[in-house]
Amino acid sequence: MSDANDPMAEIRASFFIECEELMEAMQDGLTTLDEGDDDPETINVVFRAVHSIKGGAGAFGLEALVRFAHRYETALDDVRSNKFTPDADAMRLFFSCADHLSDLIRVCRDDDAIPDDRSAELLAQLDTLLGGAAEEEEEVSADDFEPMGVSISLDLDGLGDLPPLDFDVDDAAPMDETPCYHIRFKPEQEMFETGNEPQMLLRNLAALGEATIECDLRDLPPLEALAAETSYLSWDITLIADVDEAEIREIFEFVDGLCELSVRRAGSDTDAPAVTAPIETSSDGFADLPEPPATVPDDPDVPVAAAPAPVAAALAPSAPSAAPAPEEKTARKPAPAKAAGAAANGPKSVVRVDLERIERLVNLVGELVINQAMLSQSLEQAGLSPHSDAMNGLEEFQRLTRDIQDSVMMIRAQPVKSLFQRMSRIVRESSAGVGKNVRLVTVGEGTEVDKTVIERLADPLTHMIRNAVDHGLESTEDRRAAGKSAEGIVTLSAAHRSGRVIIEVSDDGAGINRKRVLEIATNKGLVPADASLTDSDIDNLLFAPGFSTASEVSDLSGRGVGMDVVKTAIQSLGGRITITSEAGKGTKFSISLPLTLAVLDGMVVNVADETLVVPLNVVVETLSLGAADVEMLRPGKYIVRVRGEFVPLFDLGVELGYREARDSYVGAIVLLIAYEDGARAALIIDGIQDQRQVVIKGLDDSFFRAPGIAAATILGDGQIALILDPADIIAEASGASRTEALSA
Amino acid sequence: MALRDQLRIMVVDDMSTSRGLITQALDSFGIRNVASTDNGATALKAMETAPVHLVISDYNMPEMDGLKLLQSLRTAPKTKGVGFILITGRAERQIIEYGKKLGMNNFLKKPFDPNDLRKCIEAVVGRL
Repeated sequence: MSDANDPMAEIRASFFIECEELMEAMQDGLTTLDEGDDDPETINVVFRAVHSIKGGAGAFGLEALVRFAHRYETALDDVRSNKFTPDADAMRLFFSCADHLSDLIRVCRDDDAIPDDRSAELLAQLDTLLGGAAEEEEEVSADDFEPMGVSISLDLDGLGDLPPLDFDVDDAAPMDETPCYHIRFKPEQEMFETGNEPQMLLRNLAALGEATIECDLRDLPPLEALAAETSYLSWDITLIADVDEAEIREIFEFVDGLCELSVRRAGSDTDAPAVTAPIETSSDGFADLPEPPATVPDDPDVPVAAAPAPVAAALAPSAPSAAPAPEEKTARKPAPAKAAGAAANGPKSVVRVDLERIERLVNLVGELVINQAMLSQSLEQAGLSPHSDAMNGLEEFQRLTRDIQDSVMMIRAQPVKSLFQRMSRIVRESSAGVGKNVRLVTVGEGTEVDKTVIERLADPLTHMIRNAVDHGLESTEDRRAAGKSAEGIVTLSAAHRSGRVIIEVSDDGAGINRKRVLEIATNKGLVPADASLTDSDIDNLLFAPGFSTASEVSDLSGRGVGMDVVKTAIQSLGGRITITSEAGKGTKFSISLPLTLAVLDGMVVNVADETLVVPLNVVVETLSLGAADVEMLRPGKYIVRVRGEFVPLFDLGVELGYREARDSYVGAIVLLIAYEDGARAALIIDGIQDQRQVVIKGLDDSFFRAPGIAAATILGDGQIALILDPADIIAEASGASRTEALSA
Repeated sequence: MALRDQLRIMVVDDMSTSRGLITQALDSFGIRNVASTDNGATALKAMETAPVHLVISDYNMPEMDGLKLLQSLRTAPKTKGVGFILITGRAERQIIEYGKKLGMNNFLKKPFDPNDLRKCIEAVVGRL
């Protein structure tokens, strides 16, 4: 970690962050080039990224990085200057170099050992490709250059004559300023009685120019005190339009005397809010600089601050002359030069924040959510009327809490692009490893996901991508034989769907060889030999612990981890993974993840005197069972009819081991659970308490992973409740019933 | 009252790391009036309202490179006399000579240490 007090360490840390951004731009550029783009700016972007990385690396003495970047940069420069046109092989090498550069950056950042062998190998390949190490262009040494002084004489009296300071005020471009009006409009009761419509007036007003309209609700009484005939509303309008006041008043001509109207031009009095000009001045980042004196007083001992400041005086009129709020400008504390620099970086300003601080904020918001739940519970218990001020206030508080929470989660959200870019490298390396020709297609790179989710997705996704390349896609010969293009396609997509993130990895390979899968599973004793399984059952065997289809362990995916590890990783993120496959067409893995790991909307339910939380997003319906709805398939195995459809029915109390099965479930309360893959089930519970947001508190590793339990939370009354993973419960329950059925 | 107290400098570099390194070095020389930006266009605009004595600019930048910025500076009456130092990763003869033709006051090759930068500035404006 960098020492916060050491500016160099701070710049070094920010260099590595900037490198990530540059690498991203570079990957983008290379991909575009690879697609045949010949816009010279594309290669320029790639070149510049390498160049910038080299420059920064030099400043921190990262020699290995500089050396490699230098040679790579030279190669790219040859492309840039049309000395060399890269073919597919060259592009592959460029990608490999980019990957290696990114590795070098990482080892430099972490002070790890430099993989010099790889550098040497790639450098040799670059040499072969471009015909030997390019001869270095002769560089000019500083000694060969005669610096040219500017007329800043050491005699400081001369400073006032400096050309830049001696700039002509009249040259300043005049600000074109559109008048800005503040209009306050309050209809009287009579205005409504005469059938005039405020909305129409406001619309006409807005048609004059750029209007910001705000409705003032301050006078609006609580509902019970509201008199329908009375006028409570008023409007504040800020209008930027090239019109005069009379034109504005004209709009209100017909309601003259029926409303209160004030029209005020901004800048016509001092308390007018600064609308256009001052914002302009400060956004260039310079108006706030402390002004140095342009001329130095004869007595050198006079402190600078006391010196007359003609520059400031000269600058003032050059700043928009009609600046309506000069007081505000001068009263502002002079900002340090650094801050001014940051502001000068343009409109899209970015603040880098230590992740720890965000974590703390997320935790605090979590506590706030719990606290708000507690407060609402005590207010309810206090027996306050739902129309009381306190309850109304609480409602507002709830809304605010939710908004704050959403905003905080937004801070943590990141586009999946960086993750997807890493996967394109995995595809390049793994396809080269097995001698297949593979293209990665990415969709929805801009989809934003919680940063932690992104980080923890990297390993499972890597494995899935390798799997797709290794097992999913056929060999080139087999593809040709099947009449497919030689190039296999792996698609990685991300999208937001109903409050969750869906990430899909699909290939256009041969699909799952179900016969083979079943054979292996049977041989390994994962299923009984005489089991009759559906296609989907067989596909899901891939997730079974101890299953691995690779008959010969390949170099890639056969690393001792199977899809069961992937599934566990996804589940630990509160996600689910499903698989679909079609013979000859390919296989698709679909991961569904929560948007955040911190909070969830839950339904608080009772089961056998336990309080549990069910994630609300999977509950589609609650119902009470009638005698005709339930059918028993055999003792302990029920289905329920919901609108003509049969859904398996499970007693949550039994599945969690809280109690024995009941004889009859007539009248029981049931949650209908549905997943986006179409799986449905009904869960019997004893009662529903509430729907509310709960803060997810992860269960410590020291707890044994209990099937069906995702996490825990603290409820409003301080009670601890477990958060369920219904999908897991259903899978366990149906798995159990299936094996029962099979062995029966 | 030293020159460093009055000197106003504009740093132009598209890479925030480089801007940080340069401003950090200037800060260590006691130069306080430093503004920085990531592109030439913003720099030119800013200098209209807040003139500087010296521009320290990177060469390799998107859209407007350091020498294009220099050219613009030299053609505008308000900035034609401003000092200009080019910072470049490659001091290719062609670049330096073209810079000289445009009226570049000095150049500095990357990587540099703060002392190099100091000497480079002093060669243009005098002792800090």
